[in-house]
Amino acid sequence: MSHVDTHSEVHGHDEGHHEPPEVVDGRQRMAIWIFIFGDVIVLSAMLFTYLYLRGLNVGGHWMSMWGFQGKSYAQYENLANGSGLPAATLIHIKPMSASFSWLVTGVTALSALVVIFAERALRVAKNVRGFASLSAIATIIAVVSCVLSVVQLHHIPQIFTANNDSQVMAYTAYSSVMMIFIGSSLVHLAILVFLGLGLTIRASRGVLNVEKWYQARLVRLFWVWVAVTAVIVSALTTTINTIH
Amino acid sequence: MTTTLTSPAGASLAPASTGGGLARKQNFLTGIIGGFVFGFIAWALSHHFFDNTSRSYSDLVTTFTSIGWMFGFWLGIGALNGPFAWLIGSDQTRADQLYYAGENQGKVRYWKYCTDHKVVGVQYIIMTMVLLGAGGLMAMGIRTELVAPGTHFVNQQVYNGLIAVHGMLMILALIVAVAGPWANFVLPIMCGARDMAFPRLNALSLWTLVSAAFLLLSTLAVGSLPVGWVVLAPITNQAGPGMDFFAMAIVVFSVSTTVAGVNTICTVMTMRTKGMTLSRLPIFVWGSMIAAALGLYAFPYFFLVETLQLLDRTESTSFFSAAGGGEGWLQANLFWLMGHPEVYVILIPAVAALFEIASVMSRKPVFSYRTAIGGMAGLAGLSILVWAHHMFTTGWAPTLGGPFMVTTELISIPTGVFFLVLVGTLWRGHIWMKLPTYWMFGFIANFIIAGITGIYLSDIPIDNEFHGTMFVTAHFHYVFVGSVLFGAIAALAFWYPKVTGRYLDEKLGRISFWLTFAGVQITFMAMFVSGLKGMPRRYASYSMLFEHSNFVTTVGAYTIMAGMLVLLGALITSWNKGEASGPNPWHANSLEWMVPTPPPLENFDVLPVITSDPYNYGEEKVNS
Repeated sequence: MSHVDTHSEVHGHDEGHHEPPEVVDGRQRMAIWIFIFGDVIVLSAMLFTYLYLRGLNVGGHWMSMWGFQGKSYAQYENLANGSGLPAATLIHIKPMSASFSWLVTGVTALSALVVIFAERALRVAKNVRGFASLSAIATIIAVVSCVLSVVQLHHIPQIFTANNDSQVMAYTAYSSVMMIFIGSSLVHLAILVFLGLGLTIRASRGVLNVEKWYQARLVRLFWVWVAVTAVIVSALTTTINTIH
Repeated sequence: MTTTLTSPAGASLAPASTGGGLARKQNFLTGIIGGFVFGFIAWALSHHFFDNTSRSYSDLVTTFTSIGWMFGFWLGIGALNGPFAWLIGSDQTRADQLYYAGENQGKVRYWKYCTDHKVVGVQYIIMTMVLLGAGGLMAMGIRTELVAPGTHFVNQQVYNGLIAVHGMLMILALIVAVAGPWANFVLPIMCGARDMAFPRLNALSLWTLVSAAFLLLSTLAVGSLPVGWVVLAPITNQAGPGMDFFAMAIVVFSVSTTVAGVNTICTVMTMRTKGMTLSRLPIFVWGSMIAAALGLYAFPYFFLVETLQLLDRTESTSFFSAAGGGEGWLQANLFWLMGHPEVYVILIPAVAALFEIASVMSRKPVFSYRTAIGGMAGLAGLSILVWAHHMFTTGWAPTLGGPFMVTTELISIPTGVFFLVLVGTLWRGHIWMKLPTYWMFGFIANFIIAGITGIYLSDIPIDNEFHGTMFVTAHFHYVFVGSVLFGAIAALAFWYPKVTGRYLDEKLGRISFWLTFAGVQITFMAMFVSGLKGMPRRYASYSMLFEHSNFVTTVGAYTIMAGMLVLLGALITSWNKGEASGPNPWHANSLEWMVPTPPPLENFDVLPVITSDPYNYGEEKVNS
């Protein structure tokens, strides 16, 4: 036991083992960065998926698929089990709206910008009310971004296909990868809404005060990362999409 | 058994609980009930709302049912209490924290969402044993079917399902077999910390894994998984709803390991006591941290690839379907980007635990401590560059075969370092032949065979011959059963006295060791013979050519089972009636042996200050 000495601090269980805020902050910041690292791996795997499938363009089906014209199979439902369907044709789809994609990204980036200002209001100006208001605004903007993402999801091009006795609206490789990008973004935005709501409520109730500004910084870190991913994804999917 | 739950002199008892109502009544049972209730609700709603003429119908229903199960389980066990309390600004009081840490709750706390790292460690031990037991039973089913040519007890579909679920259960069990129990129970104490960095996340990682394990086992009830444990696309199109349960289980499992990895790294990097520099860290802590970091890299791929599989099945996307521009090789790449590092996520903690054991049991410092760390880090780094060797025979990117063959063969260098460190530590030491030492020597013997046969398989010409044969199966069973399981049992025997205050029964333990060691040689040597003769994997029936080697393999498998049952008996009987061990039965120097047994809540009343590394065995004698 020669390598162990004793420390002068003695604590009881009831009083807890209080650590300085900077220690707690450092630990939580490290955790956020490691979570972001995990997210980077997921994002890079998704980008790899996108580029891999687009690069291969298997069977020329990056943006096309054998199916039937029409936006839903409801128009064919009077045909028993698809047995009376017309002959399938190769249907080509168009890339999704670049301007809408950048709109969603812009809104997400705006929410991140507001969170940056909110965190500054708490850390620099020591203004808890200002922080609560700004984080509420950022949350609302994130909700708007969520709604826009849902609209985007609804506009992913689908193709009506039938196989044996079943029928389905299917997605080409391009549409599939867009779905995973938008779906992933939606999940991240939902987390942001949760975090933003939490910050707002906690600041309003006085739980989050100027001494605990670092909690706001943790959320800001993640929020900015989500905005950065939105920019990366939009930049890729609006520039490299069609096969020439 | 010494039981100590100390408060320093003059400290009053913890303040009374502030209530908590229903939250305080939550436990494993309420989790199960919640899971079933919400699973049923999700099943009923999805039945009602989804179009039953769609070919995705059954997959959608299964997926939503599994989501309902997960949500209900987490709600029922109390995993969502913390996030909800944070949301409404209702932070836990000190009394709440102590309650959730299981203070004064006796054995009930082992069935609750408990935040104490030692309780979580024991929960991991139990869960690992359950998973290994279930996977082991399936292995016995497989070997019983293969005892003689022809179909006997199960058809090919059921057989394939058994193979898949056995494989994945065992993989999950071994991923947590060392890192789960010991990176929770002893790692924070080894660092001189009062708990893990994020105690609630610690409990979350355990219970999310439990909920995923339920889903994985449920695949057997919904058509199983007749596509093998790697679930390669597009053959997964042939799988029933069991595939959806499987994919959802893996998605949740990946989240669980990520959370656990973040916690482990943050604990080591930010919770070390004064004087515990990185160069004084016990080697097991290094191993756990490196494995956690590797897991953080690897498991996101698993998360993504199974998410994509789910989308292909439920939403008719085309990630892996050529008809829509997708490709099966994409699935294989993403899977093996995870699959090979995962082997080292499993192996490294076991090896690191053996470094500890070798040092303590030979009364010598870890030989070349820094090289050992370098070896583990090197192995982790190289493991991310070798994934395509699993695809040598698939036809994917043949020009990359050469580079991947070289990187795979390079792996033998850090693996050789492991042997060097282990043997160097034991060399000319006064080896204490106790139960952990036996299992350690078993590991060394088996890992040599596992390593050498791995080198064969890394060579493309030989791999072309052996791929898909029982030779490969024998190789990776030498890795997982002969090596990792032996390492895990050595760690269990080594730290068992710290958990229970009693030795693991030496006599029964040795009987178990010899049965298991002999069983491994009989089983997998005969399996090598089957492979060399050309017997393919994944077939319920086979040619007469392989009759004798398969019979011997099945005899060996039953010998392993006998060994495991003896070990289980030893664990149960020793828990209450074993020989008392005291707080430091191995006269070791690392911090976990300096605290009472079992360690008190929050581990230390007085935080230690470290002045040297924990491997200074024999220095006093030399100095004198």
